Order: sequence, then C-alpha cells, then structure tokens
Amino acid sequence: MFTRQIDKRLKTTFILFGALAAVTGLSAYFGLHPRVSDVGYRPEQPVPFSHKLHAGDLGVKCMYCHNTVEQAGHSAVPSTSTCMNCHTAVLPESPRLEQVRESSKSGKPIEWRRVHKLPDYVNFNHSGHIRAGIDCASCHGEVETMGVVTQMHPLNMGWCLDCHRDPVNMVVPAREISGIFMGMKTYEEVADMWANEPPTWGDGKWLSTWRTPDKRMLTWKAPSELDSAAIQAAMQAHEEGFLGVGVTQHTFLADGPAADGMSVPKKPALGPENCGSCHY
Amino acid sequence: MATSSKRRLPIFLVIIAGVFIVFWVGLLSGSIMWTSDQPPLMVIPDMDNQSKVSPQEQVNYFADRSADRAPLEYTIPRYAEFYRATSIAEAEEMYSNSLPSSEWILARGKNRFETFCAVCHGAEGAGDGTIGERSATLKPPSLIAPGALTLGYTDAHLFHIISMGQNIMPGYRDKLKEVDRWAVINYVRSLQRKHLGEDALQQAHAQPEADMAMNEGEDMTDANAEGEQQ
Ligand code: HEC
Ligand code: HEC
Ligand code: HEC
Ligand code: HEC
Ligand code: HEC
Ligand code: HEC
Repeated sequence: MFTRQIDKRLKTTFILFGALAAVTGLSAYFGLHPRVSDVGYRPEQPVPFSHKLHAGDLGVKCMYCHNTVEQAGHSAVPSTSTCMNCHTAVLPESPRLEQVRESSKSGKPIEWRRVHKLPDYVNFNHSGHIRAGIDCASCHGEVETMGVVTQMHPLNMGWCLDCHRDPVNMVVPAREISGIFMGMKTYEEVADMWANEPPTWGDGKWLSTWRTPDKRMLTWKAPSELDSAAIQAAMQAHEEGFLGVGVTQHTFLADGPAADGMSVPKKPALGPENCGSCHY
Repeated sequence: MATSSKRRLPIFLVIIAGVFIVFWVGLLSGSIMWTSDQPPLMVIPDMDNQSKVSPQEQVNYFADRSADRAPLEYTIPRYAEFYRATSIAEAEEMYSNSLPSSEWILARGKNRFETFCAVCHGAEGAGDGTIGERSATLKPPSLIAPGALTLGYTDAHLFHIISMGQNIMPGYRDKLKEVDRWAVINYVRSLQRKHLGEDALQQAHAQPEADMAMNEGEDMTDANAEGEQQ
C-alpha cells in the first residue's frame, strides 16, 4: 500500500506509541496504588520536632506523649503542655521552640500536620490493637529512627486485611520503647513467645487475645474455648481493683491491659473480617 | 532507528534503559520509597473527607481551630476523674491507698513508672534519667536512697505529688488514671523495699513527721500509709 519507507515509519510509530501507552498505563495503575502514592508522605511540621531525638536518643516512651492509645480509638498527638513538662527547664530559650512557648501562653494548639489519615468512613481503633500487644512499629515503621514522621505503610483496606488474615507475619510484638503494658511478661518473653509459639488465627472465627493473671497470655482463642478457671482468675483481678474487666458472651477482655476504663470495642463479636467492624 | 538497523545497540543506552526499568519497577512495586511533602494524590475522593469533625482535626469554626473542645465551665465530663485536693494536707484527708500490692498491680505500676517517670527519675527511681544528662534542673532527688524524703511521705502525699507535681516536676493527673497512680505508688514502695529493705520503710513511717521539709505542721498519721502494705 505504502512505500516501504512509510510502512516502516508507521510500524515504528505504532510500536513507540504502544510502548508509551503501556508505560503510562502501568505507571498509572500501579503508581496510584496507596503503596506508591501514599507511602513516603512526609509533611514539614510547624515545629522541627524529632522523634529520633526524643524517642530514640532520650528514650521517652511513645505512650508518654501518645498516652491515649491504650484506651481510645484515636491516638493523641500531645498537647503543648506535654512539651512544656520538659521544655520549661530544657532549652527554655531555643528559637526552634518559639512556637511551642507561644502556644503554651495563648492556649492555641500547635497545628501539627496530619501524616496518617484513613478516609472518614473507616472506623479504626488503636486500643484494640495496642491491648493485643501489637507494637506501633507494625503499622508506623520505626518512628524512633525518624527525624520527621513518614508514612511507611499504605493503610489501604488490603493492608488491614492482610494482617488480620495472617497476623503473625506482620505483627511486631510490643517493644520496650512503646511502653505497651504486657502484664507480667517482659518484652523479651513476649517476643520469644511470639517467635516460638505464635498465636494462631483459627478458622475464620473471631479470636481474641486474652491475658490472665495465671500467666496465659497471647494465646488467641475462640470465646467458646474459654475455660471457667480463666474467667474466675479474671474476675478475681477485677475484685482486686482493676476496673474494665469484662466477661461478655463473646469476647473476653481479661484484666491486664484492659486495666482501667478502656473502651470495649464497638462491635466486639463481629470480628475483623466483618465489614461492619471497620465501616461504621 | 536503532531497532531496524543491524548495528548493535550502544552499550550505554542499554545500561540507561536497564537502570530506568529497575528504578521504575522498584518504584511501582513499592520497594523504592519516594518521600514527598505533598499530600497523597486523590483521584476519586469518594467520601474520604466528610464534613464531620474527628478528634484532633483542625476546623475553622472555632477561633483556636481545634476540634477538641474543653468542657464548659462548671461542668465535668462523665466518668472523668477530678482531682480535688489543693494541698498535701487536703490530699491526706481525702485520699488513701486501697490498692493491694499484688503481682499484677506491681507489673502495671512498673510499666506506668517506666513510661511516665523513668525519663527523669531513672528506671529504678535513683534520679538518673536521661533528661538529667541534658538539663541542669530536671534532676530529681533519688526515691530509693537511704534517707530519701519520699520514704517518710504518706501514700496520699505521693499521690498529691504525682497528681499536681512539685516545683519543677509536672503533674500527671491528665495522663495517669487514679488507679494507675496508686499502682505507681505501690511500685515505688516496692522499689524502696527492694533497695532499702522493709525495715527502712517501716522506720521512716514510724518517725514523727516533724523533720520533713516539704509540708509544714499538719499532723500525719501513718494509718493510710500502712493500709497499703499487703
Ligand atoms: C516527646 C513526645 C513524643 C514522643 C515520645 C513520641 N511522639 Fe510521636 N508525635 C509527637 C508529636 C508532637 C507528633 C506530631 C508532629 C509530627 O508528626 O512529627 C507526633 C507524631 C507521631 C506520628 C504521626 C501522627 C500523624 O499525624 O499521623 C506517629 C505515627 C507517631 N508520632 C508515633 C510515635 C511512636 C511510635 C513513638 C515511640 C517510638 C512516638 N511517636 C513517640 C510526640 C511524640
Ligand atoms: C521528656 C522530656 C521532653 C519532652 C516531653 C519534650 N522534649 Fe523536646 N527536648 C528534650 C530534650 C532533653 C531535648 C534536647 C536538648 C539538648 O539537645 O540538649 C529536646 C529538644 C527539642 C527540640 C530541639 C531544640 C533545639 O533547639 O535543638 C525541639 C524542637 C523539641 N525538643 C520539641 C519538643 C516538642 C514539640 C515537644 C512536645 C511534643 C517536646 N519537645 C517534648 C526533652 C523533651
Ligand atoms: C494496627 C495498626 C496500628 C498500630 C499498632 C498503631 N497505629 Fe497509630 N495509626 C494507625 C492508623 C491506621 C492511623 C490513622 C488513623 C485515622 O486516620 O483515623 C494511625 C494514626 C496514628 C496517629 C495520628 C492520630 C491522629 O488523630 O492524628 C498517631 C499519633 C499514632 N497513630 C500513634 C501510634 C502509636 C504511638 C502507636 C503505638 C503505641 C500506634 N500508633 C500503633 C495504625 C496503627
Ligand atoms: C499488624 C497487624 C494489623 C494491622 C495492620 C491491622 N490490624 Fe486490626 N487487628 C489486628 C489483630 C491481631 C486484631 C485482634 C486483636 C485481638 O484479638 O484482641 C485486630 C483487631 C481489629 C479490630 C477489632 C478490635 C477492635 O478494636 O474493635 C478492628 C475493628 C480492626 N482490627 C481494624 C483494623 C483496621 C481498620 C486496620 C487498617 C487500617 C487494621 N485493623 C490493621 C492486627 C492488625
Ligand atoms: C479491617 C478493616 C476493614 C474491613 C473488615 C473492611 N474494610 Fe473496607 N476499607 C477499610 C479501609 C481502611 C478502607 C480505606 C482504604 C483507603 O484508604 O484507600 C476501606 C475502603 C473500602 C471501600 C472504598 C474503597 C475505595 O478505594 O474507594 C469500600 C467500597 C469498602 N471498603 C468495602 C468493604 C466491604 C464491602 C467490606 C466487607 C466485605 C469491607 N470493606 C471490610 C477497612 C476495612
Ligand atoms: C520531667 C521530669 C519528671 C518526670 C517525668 C517525673 N518527675 Fe518526679 N520529680 C522531678 C523533679 C525535677 C523533682 C524534684 C522537684 C523539686 O525540686 O521539688 C521530682 C520530685 C518527685 C518526687 C518528690 C521527691 C522528693 O524527695 O521530694 C516524687 C515522689 C516524684 N517526683 C515522683 C514522680 C513520679 C511517680 C513520676 C511519674 C508519674 C514522676 N515523678 C515523673 C521530675 C520529674
């Protein structure tokens, strides 16, 4: 039809366009996945606060500042008064802390820029995870090594479900730096237990971590398997003065991390595979 | 038109293409992290940003742009704990330690102490926390040295210090629930017992309180201090 030369040019053009389309398509398809588009988000903060200095070098535990994680759904970004606990005496003149002092004087909170953000239709709860002994690092990476907090995980639905289906691979057991209460177990014992005798995530049943004073901890059991001795032990702990021990038909929130006033999960019996437990 | 020619591809082109492909695949598979200051791209925002206000959000409705509102004046939230004592004497009248020192509660106290107190007081309460190395003033006295003032304090006195702070030490009533504060006190007592022995503790409480520097003139019985021992 065409001359040989035009034929050849057409062919190359087609190939080039095809390749370009493929590259763009693949880039868009994979590039817009939260794994690529969300991970690595690292906003500049109004105050050059460094987790590496405070948590890493000084060894301030995460829960000193983010103290609500154990009890509430959200995790508190500390108020200015928390900073002033130390900074009235430490570097009281530093220009980098100007905003902190100002905020402390005026009562107007520092506007930290939010890093991790789920869509508003998702109901995520920190306390359930923290009480199960899941370390912050499983979801936030090793924050104590970061100068500026960076999002390390995609936080998409697939990521939540990946862990819920097979927690053992993704869970980092509670570490000392986080300050998570693991009952009478030391953190080494917990890590050991997790490595040698990992909790099993049974056949689609709603499983719950439960800990009792008789040292059984981090065993994941269906509620029907709870034996009465364990319930007795938990009730005793309750009588000893720890509130918030709940023995319900479905879940068994034994003492320990449930120590005091912790919220019972909104929908305890549904289990993390139920749409309603994450989607209001 | 390298593709149609019989010449071999220039080696540097192959290398560049190779590097590009490795980088591209790495980036798209998430193995290479690309940090950015810009908020993640949202192609279809669905109902991601609803007009409801969630904790710690910034809203323009209020002058200070904070979504977390303090309770109105003269109100306290349901289930809130409210620390009522304004002085040590008042605290000793109002509060006494009724939490037993069971193993479990000491474990809780240890955890809370290491989280909230150890940065300044040191893991064992010896006053050798990491903050002290950086600051000339945040160097608390040892809680476990022989003759430490805290030995002689009643539990309610300690409760007051933890709740309201003392001089440069901040109060922790907003971070520690009451039961946790008592657990911390039980743990501090167990540390003192460990380092100084049961006798020292008993003795300190048996002494008349006249020589105590901090509080002037209120009469203290060691009734509530004894209440907490097993
Ligand atoms: C001295 C107080 C302090 C300590 C200790 C601390 N943080 Fe933070 N954290 C902050 C402040 C302030 C912010 C908000 C500013 C920022 O993002 O850097 C923050 C932000 C964060 C964020 C990002 C929140 C968002 O907007 O999504 C995460 C995640 C986090 N911290 C985790 C941790 C972990 C894990 C630890 C323990 C290793 C820890 N923090 C220890 C004060 C602290
Ligand atoms: C447990 C005590 C403690 C708390 C709580 C704390 N800091 Fe610090 N901060 C320190 C110490 C210690 C240093 C380092 C001092 C030094 O380098 O000598 C420091 C250093 C800093 C610096 C660097 C200052 C400079 O000039 O280099 C900034 C910024 C800072 N802190 C911000 C904050 C903010 C914001 C908060 C509240 C979320 C906070 N800090 C809470 C103890 C604390
Ligand atoms: C199971 C995963 C998981 C664990 C474990 C976890 N987080 Fe989070 N965290 C999240 C998610 C998801 C968000 C975003 C929540 C949202 O947008 O509603 C978040 C948000 C935060 C925020 C910002 C909250 C806000 O409202 O701005 C802070 C601070 C935080 N986490 C700190 C911590 C600390 C400290 C720990 C450990 C004690 C921890 N997280 C453990 C998943 C986790
Ligand atoms: C690192 C692993 C891990 C990740 C990631 C994770 N979870 Fe979980 N989640 C768990 C485990 C383990 C449990 C069970 C806790 C128990 O048995 O007490 C759980 C329990 C839950 C529960 C039921 C308990 C409660 O608090 O109501 C909900 C809801 C939940 N997760 C939501 C989420 C959402 C939403 C995300 C994603 C943003 C997420 N999880 C990410 C491990 C994870
Ligand atoms: C473990 C918690 C969890 C469970 C269980 C869960 N989801 Fe989700 N879902 C999420 C999270 C987190 C997101 C937000 C993902 C994001 O940020 O892109 C989400 C997003 C979605 C979206 C919007 C997706 C998009 O990209 O716009 C739909 C639709 C959805 N979920 C449906 C469901 C259905 C149907 C079920 C029950 C079969 C379910 N979800 C169960 C956590 C969960
Ligand atoms: C920011 C550092 C800091 C933290 C955190 C801290 N303290 Fe202190 N504490 C001090 C300083 C400084 C003093 C000395 C105050 C003074 O000069 O009177 C002190 C004094 C005390 C005293 C009185 C000692 C005496 O001999 O008079 C007690 C008891 C005490 N702290 C207990 C605690 C407990 C319990 C916690 C944890 C909930 C805690 N502190 C957390 C800095 C701190």
